[in-house]
Amino acid sequence: MYTNSQADAPPLELRNVTKFYGDFKAVDDVSFTLAAGSICGFLGPNGAGKTTTIRMILEIIKPTRGVITVLGRPSALEVRQRIGYLPEEKGLYKKMKTWSVIAYFATLKGLTRKAARQRAYELLERYGLKDFAAKPTEALSKGMSQKVQMLASIAHDPELVILDEPFSGLDPVNQQVMEEIIRDMAGRKRTILFSTHVMQHAERLCERILLIAKGKKIFDGTIAEAKRTLPRRVRIETDDDIGPLRGLSGVISVDPVETARGAGGPDNLTHWELQIGENADPQAILQLCFAKGIRLRGFNQSDPTLHEVFMRLVGPEAREAAFR
Amino acid sequence: MKFAFLVAWREYAENAKTRGFWIGLFMFPVIIFLSVTVSVLLETKGTPVRHYVLVDQSGKFAAIVESRLEQAHQKQMLAALNEYARTYAAFPAEIHDALPQSVETFLSKGGGDYFLEQLKPRLKPGAPAFKAPRRPFQPAALPANIDTNADLASLARDLKPYLRREKNVEAGGGKVELSAAILIPRDIEKQILRPRADPARATATGNGIEYWSANLADTRLRDEIEQAVNGEIRRREYLARGMDGAAIRDVEQTRAPFASLNPSKEAGQEAVNGADIIRQWAPSGFVYLLWVAIFAISQMLLNNIIEEKSNRIIEVLLSSVTPGELMMGKLLGIAAVGLTMVGVWMASLFGVLSWKSGGAPDIAGPLLVALKTSKLIPMFSIYFLLGYVMYGAFILALGSVCNTIKEAQNYMAMITMTMMVPLLTMTFIPKDPNGTLARVLSWIPIYTPFTMMNRVNADPPLVDLVGTMILLLASTAAALWMAGKIFRVGILRTGQPPKIVEMLRWIKA
Repeated sequence: MYTNSQADAPPLELRNVTKFYGDFKAVDDVSFTLAAGSICGFLGPNGAGKTTTIRMILEIIKPTRGVITVLGRPSALEVRQRIGYLPEEKGLYKKMKTWSVIAYFATLKGLTRKAARQRAYELLERYGLKDFAAKPTEALSKGMSQKVQMLASIAHDPELVILDEPFSGLDPVNQQVMEEIIRDMAGRKRTILFSTHVMQHAERLCERILLIAKGKKIFDGTIAEAKRTLPRRVRIETDDDIGPLRGLSGVISVDPVETARGAGGPDNLTHWELQIGENADPQAILQLCFAKGIRLRGFNQSDPTLHEVFMRLVGPEAREAAFR
Repeated sequence: MKFAFLVAWREYAENAKTRGFWIGLFMFPVIIFLSVTVSVLLETKGTPVRHYVLVDQSGKFAAIVESRLEQAHQKQMLAALNEYARTYAAFPAEIHDALPQSVETFLSKGGGDYFLEQLKPRLKPGAPAFKAPRRPFQPAALPANIDTNADLASLARDLKPYLRREKNVEAGGGKVELSAAILIPRDIEKQILRPRADPARATATGNGIEYWSANLADTRLRDEIEQAVNGEIRRREYLARGMDGAAIRDVEQTRAPFASLNPSKEAGQEAVNGADIIRQWAPSGFVYLLWVAIFAISQMLLNNIIEEKSNRIIEVLLSSVTPGELMMGKLLGIAAVGLTMVGVWMASLFGVLSWKSGGAPDIAGPLLVALKTSKLIPMFSIYFLLGYVMYGAFILALGSVCNTIKEAQNYMAMITMTMMVPLLTMTFIPKDPNGTLARVLSWIPIYTPFTMMNRVNADPPLVDLVGTMILLLASTAAALWMAGKIFRVGILRTGQPPKIVEMLRWIKA
């Protein structure tokens, strides 16, 4: 009856979701929708409400208010076999063999024992852990056991994958393997929501980010859109007076940049940052420099990084949350 | 329910792999086996030969003591010969009639040699030669530097280094440790206590006969000597008062037969025998077994849930199964572990008993019959399951709110204390199995399994049997329901464990 609407429904939709712990509002009126087959980064400082939101999506805890629809159903429990979940705090049964941990979680997601075992070996082989398949998980290093957990949470090839801080505590090599696993899944049109506070991962992996702070959603859009919330910048290095540039149209501000060399007093500043408007042309700045005889030692035009966007958007609140 | 079974299967498979499980499994059979065989072994071989010295300054008792110890040894010899005959003779019943059974006739007919002579034609082919038991008490030579005529105090002082094992004495041509010294003072006659005698007339002071030994636990030698000396003193007393000692002994052995009868047994079979007593006490053994089993697997359950909580595995599990399924799965899986353990225990109990029944101190046979004919085993199974589920529910609720074993131990202490009650009452209840204490405890659900198990062979009133069972079932269901409520909230909690009031609020919610 609802098959059609289910097929068209987004894999995940939150509408006005709020969660109170006693008097504390952990999540405050959050709404968003994930498109099928997308990778979405769920960003926010510590204590922003990411884990609480994720737990509500999985119906481990119930929202105080609001509606959550998962794979077209009002309850994640109904479709739990089609969801994969890697929690933030990670652990494995120490005495169990690596393959059997993966297989156990897969059977809990509905795979037969035989299929689960086969799948466990397959995944361990693909991601370079074959030699550890028959070892107890306590023999694994931290990075390895985190990968094993990741494999355990996706062994049943879920349609919707929710990963809470999948990269935390991993070295760069293992971070790359983890990214590879996520990309493999996205390549098979799986929908992925992962939380992180490391912006590089989000920048590399996501089409879209969702930013929350103090329980409130403060940004929801593509990475390009996020970057557009900050003005573009041009950095100039020169010993000459840059006064003429201040009058140029499109230049919002001109500020000295303190360099590592610490250029003494205000008289011998050499590095400058110009913030320019959305439609301003950096070429015009370059041309004006030539025209006015400003000798450039460096000229660099760059977009803001996601990190800067993040700091700007949640800055003071992030600090507050961190000290709470 | 399918997922609960998956959880249960993992619990079972993983716990069955642990060393603790296998130790628990084999410990019990090994203990039964050892307690049946080793106690006999220790009795005959384990007790070392004890060497003693006897200084009899009065010169009147040394011979009496020695003959008494000899007689004790002969008694042991006779028992050993009877056991040997029972094991290796072709027709034990026939032998029994042909051979002397009291020490007196045994000795008068010629002792061990005569017995063995009689036995020889009746022995089964290939029977090993008889090995006489060792004398448990053997005299040692008094060290040369000891003056036997000195007063008791200095004698004791001189002997102390030997008694403290700082020096050795000689016996049988070798150095041995001195276990005891018996000193009989010269004026022992004057120290004899008589009832109705004027205490002022006691002419001498002293301890009487002094028995010195560093070993306070083994009183057999002391008892033998005390009986020998006092028997002799009484014999002389009879003589002194002009009484016939033999007549008095006859009088002392005159008695009316006395039989215990049980009104609940069939006519003609009312006589209470060893088997009845075993039947009455066997439930206590089962109560203990029940207690150990429930306690052991409750611990297993607690460790298990805390491992998942502290490892944070719980969250992954809860994204796959509901808290209710998880709880039921755990309860079932660990129950299966417990049942396996108890099953193996029962089987080994039967095994050892069947193998041992027919032996000399025949407890095994009647116990086996008691097990087979009474309701012990089925009732044990029912009470084990219900008791376990109820305590298991408490443990799961408790485990779900604690993050570490240490936190859990504070609560666990409460449960352990509560569980001590049936252990304490275990030995009282068989004495009055349908008395007030037993009945009251039976109606308290947390004690029902233990108390009813204790009463099961005493034909408790039907109202107790059925009523407590219904109450137990209802309370077990209630415990499960409450545990489910607490489990659901507690399992995801981190930080400080909640107060009891807070948990009650969760139940009401």
